[in-house]
Amino acid sequence: MSNTESSDSLITTDVETGSDEHAVAPDRTAVAARDLNVYYGDEQAIDDVSMEIPENRVTALIGPSGCGKSTFLRCINRMNDMIDICRVEGDVEFGGKNVYDADVDPVALRRKIGMVFQKPNPFPKSIRDNVAYGLKIQGFDGDVDARVKESLKGAALWDEVKDQLDSSGLELSGGQQQRLCIARAIAPDPEVILMDEPTSALDPVAASKIEDLIDDLAEEYTVIIVTHNMQQAARISDRTAVFLTGGRLVEYDDTTKIFEDPEEQRVEDYITGKFG
Amino acid sequence: MTESTESPDLQRQSGLTRLKEGTYGGLFAACAAVTLLTTVAIFATLLYDAVVFFSEVPVIEFLTSTSWSPNPRGGGQSFGIVPLVIGTITVTITAAFIALPVGTLTAIYLSEYATPNARSILKPLLEILAGIPTVVYGYFALVYITPALKATLFPEMSTFNALSAALMVGIMTIPMVSSISEDAMSAVPDDLRQAGYGLGATKFEVSTGIVVPASISGIASSYILAVSRAIGETMIVVVAMGAQARMPAVQEAFGVPFINPADVLLESGMTITVAMVQIANGDLTGGTIPYDSMFALGLTLFVVTLVMNVLSDIIAQRYREEY
Amino acid sequence: MATDTDTGTASAEGFGEVSRVRGIIFEYLSLGASVLGIFALAVLLVYVTIDAFDLTNASPEWLLTYFLTLVVPFLAFCLYSANDRELTRRAAGVLGGGLVAVAVVFTAIEAFVTQIPRLSWQLAYLFVVVFPLTGYVTYVGSSGRVGGVGFGLVGRLIGGTAIGLALAVLFLVFDARLWFLAYTLGIVPALASYAYGRFRERPGASTAAVPVGIVGVLVAVFLRPVIDTYPTTAFIYLWTLAIPIAAAGALVVGARGSRTEAIAAGGVPLALATVVGLFGGILGLGVGGPNALLVIAVAGVPTAVYLQRVFDAGDGVIGLGLPVLLVVGALVGALVVEAFGFPAPDPWIDGSFITEAPSRTPADAGLYPAIVGSVIIIAMVAVLSFLLGVGTSVFLEEYTANSGIVGALTRLLQINIANLAAIPSVVYGLLGLGLFANLLGLGYGTAVTVSLTLSLLILPITIISAQEAIRSVPDDLRRGSDAMGATRWQTTKNVVLPEAFPGILTGTILALGRAIGETAPLIMVGAATTVFSAPNSLFDKYSAMPMQIYAWAGFPQADFRYGVVAAGVITLLIILVGMNGTAILLRNRAERGT
Repeated sequence: MSNTESSDSLITTDVETGSDEHAVAPDRTAVAARDLNVYYGDEQAIDDVSMEIPENRVTALIGPSGCGKSTFLRCINRMNDMIDICRVEGDVEFGGKNVYDADVDPVALRRKIGMVFQKPNPFPKSIRDNVAYGLKIQGFDGDVDARVKESLKGAALWDEVKDQLDSSGLELSGGQQQRLCIARAIAPDPEVILMDEPTSALDPVAASKIEDLIDDLAEEYTVIIVTHNMQQAARISDRTAVFLTGGRLVEYDDTTKIFEDPEEQRVEDYITGKFG
Repeated sequence: MTESTESPDLQRQSGLTRLKEGTYGGLFAACAAVTLLTTVAIFATLLYDAVVFFSEVPVIEFLTSTSWSPNPRGGGQSFGIVPLVIGTITVTITAAFIALPVGTLTAIYLSEYATPNARSILKPLLEILAGIPTVVYGYFALVYITPALKATLFPEMSTFNALSAALMVGIMTIPMVSSISEDAMSAVPDDLRQAGYGLGATKFEVSTGIVVPASISGIASSYILAVSRAIGETMIVVVAMGAQARMPAVQEAFGVPFINPADVLLESGMTITVAMVQIANGDLTGGTIPYDSMFALGLTLFVVTLVMNVLSDIIAQRYREEY
Repeated sequence: MATDTDTGTASAEGFGEVSRVRGIIFEYLSLGASVLGIFALAVLLVYVTIDAFDLTNASPEWLLTYFLTLVVPFLAFCLYSANDRELTRRAAGVLGGGLVAVAVVFTAIEAFVTQIPRLSWQLAYLFVVVFPLTGYVTYVGSSGRVGGVGFGLVGRLIGGTAIGLALAVLFLVFDARLWFLAYTLGIVPALASYAYGRFRERPGASTAAVPVGIVGVLVAVFLRPVIDTYPTTAFIYLWTLAIPIAAAGALVVGARGSRTEAIAAGGVPLALATVVGLFGGILGLGVGGPNALLVIAVAGVPTAVYLQRVFDAGDGVIGLGLPVLLVVGALVGALVVEAFGFPAPDPWIDGSFITEAPSRTPADAGLYPAIVGSVIIIAMVAVLSFLLGVGTSVFLEEYTANSGIVGALTRLLQINIANLAAIPSVVYGLLGLGLFANLLGLGYGTAVTVSLTLSLLILPITIISAQEAIRSVPDDLRRGSDAMGATRWQTTKNVVLPEAFPGILTGTILALGRAIGETAPLIMVGAATTVFSAPNSLFDKYSAMPMQIYAWAGFPQADFRYGVVAAGVITLLIILVGMNGTAILLRNRAERGT
């Protein structure tokens, strides 16, 4: 429903506030894709995508369902390795290193890249253990409790849960669970945070809290977010990449540009809700 | 190493971590290998002694001789599987007469008629039937069923007989038929039932005319499994059926030879499994023909049940593909 | 397949009516089929119970006494807990109406149809009305708070005692002194190292725990023949079992309650166990010795922890009176029976049946060595099949792919496991005989041979249920952990196994229930039909409960057939019910938790 009511004025104002905050250019590149092709069996999910994602910015990937944007996201931390039939060609560079090189350990890679999923998926453990999970598996030998506190604060959850760190993460509300997952993702201090439609399973109030949080996260981290919701992309991102059917990257530019004056007619049609 | 100064360190983890990962992976794989080794070991163990046995007793004689007397003291030794097969078939068929219809009706009731509440009570109760130790069933057959049958229906019944044992084997295998058949019936899409009701069929007609035919391969596979279970059943027959390997007398009526069912059912008999237990009770040290004959019997049993399981699996696979 | 349409003249509007007679007959036929097997089994169980407890000789007065002192108060307790007026009214109605109905029907059958052997109408009432009603009321009552507390307490007392006794039995064959050394030199240092690393933020110390433990155990094995002075068995139990159990109990309480409560929950049972165990003999308490110490500690600590929880919650505290109610009821019943001289039955299953060795005379026959054999065998099977089962199912569910050569291999393994599950148990017996007993020389009917054979026998069942438990862990959690950069083992250890553990445990216990009743493979590997003393080494010739039943069933004397074997069957079935009940409770609790 939100797609159709996209009145131009609303988007424009939001974009302005969004882009004012970090309007610094040019940036260092955090993640770059070069001639990336991904296949599920015989089906092509990503078709020859090349793009550079800047450091400490929020980059949104938008497009209709099945356009390959989530697949692209999962290429960055090689979560696609888990799918047997998935085949990746081309390069994805992270800090200048192709993550598909033979000497790269996907596990080591994922320790440098946090990920937040569509559905909140806290572990059935205490809040503290959830946040400390990444530290524990990476053999972190500093002050765990301090890091837990810092991460929960970073995820704007500390005030709500500071008295119940030992209760189960599953007892929290949906929005709190998602922020817990964000705290979990930032606790090991990754360089990049991938978010796969992090608000689509939440109510509007909880979603707006996450959006505010994403804005703050970009100060320290590179955030790459997949979203269905175009206003959300317009509100929170600095750069926007539009994927259309067949896994093709149609347009990739500053968010303001994409939403105000896209080059491609198809992108304009999509953004104004003519299809998708 | 030179690369890692500028780009993040994504190299493979340290030797210790990898060793740990590899160790666990290897341990789990070794556990899984145990299951494969078990099959190989069963086959090898059975084959090894069976081969020795068949070098002493020709296969043809084993399969066709009508006398089983492994004990060298009581007259000549002879290893003919025919009387054992007759005993096994007697028990299996009688048990099937109970388990198959009762199990099928139970499955229909559970899948089509029972309320969720009734189902949640009946299903665990039925599972109990399969969970009672078989030696207990054997004891029931010997101590309660046989005297009861003797007092009422068959006064001429002998203390050890095939009928009581088979009744208990039948009851024990009911849940095997009912649970697999019910799974198959529940897998029948509701569309088919709706279509039947839409044509004005009654519940009875939908159950017997639509659901049962649609799940027939699942039902058939449950039958085969139940029969294979009955063939391999040991303790019930050991306790209740006695251990007399005998050939039933062939009678003739109107020129047609037949065997009087009472002759096999109400008398003691011997199944393949009983024959194995009987030898095991006497001699286990190995190196004798009776010892080796156990393995020949075991191999026969193993092959028969394996073939039946594979068959049931193939049939069951078909119904899974249908929907 | 045409419908049996009626002529249609009956209905004025002309739709007609479709005959349902066949359908109704069929429905009742299939309902009858569903309960046929259950009914047959129930009748047989009634008879075996009557025989085991010699209920044919129970006078009506005796039955009435215990009915009033034991059954009625228990029913009242459950109904009080259920707190449902309607249920109470219906239960009373069933008890009263059932009494009349059973008496009338039973007398009618006896008068007009046939004599029913070994049953009186009072017994019929007991089995047809009282037991099912008690079962149902127990079920309803246990879901109430008061009932839940009562059954929770009774369950801990009985379960703790059973586990304590089982541990004591294990020490008949496992060397307590070696255990003492291994515990002192291996387990204690390892735990200390782990705790130090955990609380002082030194991961290195935690990682060192496992190697430290292994070295300690190896040193213990080496030192066992060298050292020749050891503390007494009671002291070993105290140091290696009672103290750690009490400490664990105190930790559990400490995590949610005050320090005083924690010390009380661990300390009181520990003190009781120490006094009774070390000084019981001297003080003339009638009980004492190491085994009493073990049982009191194992049953007492969980009970104390549970009491603290109940008092802390302050809800349903009155339910704690249930054990008192039952004990007092039994005592009063016994007093009344004694005072009035009511003819009492002489049950075959009693204390001496459990604690005596088999005998040629039925009255003296006991099951003790067979029970010991079963406990030791099942303990070893439990460890073996749990480890192998978890390992295999983790490999199949977490470490393999669905495609390629690995995928094909996985499918082969899977098919193989399904086929293993269907191989007759007697064939596994031949495997045990040929491979373990003869080829590897582990001995005929020894605990080692029998346990290995039974472990392989139930392995497929264990694996299949463990796989189901692992598969039910949501994939979200796995992906969440993977995305954190967890290795496969880390994901498995930290996320998958903790979630799947209750399911795996349930499946293993159910599979063990199968193992405990298996007889044919035991015969094939040469387990003894009868042994007259408890084994004291893993390489003795073992018997087991089903073997003993098999042996006795072959005895011609009626007292054996209808008495001793029935008692054996009931013992075996009670243990089975206990195990399966525990498994089902675990499953229900895990399902409620998620």
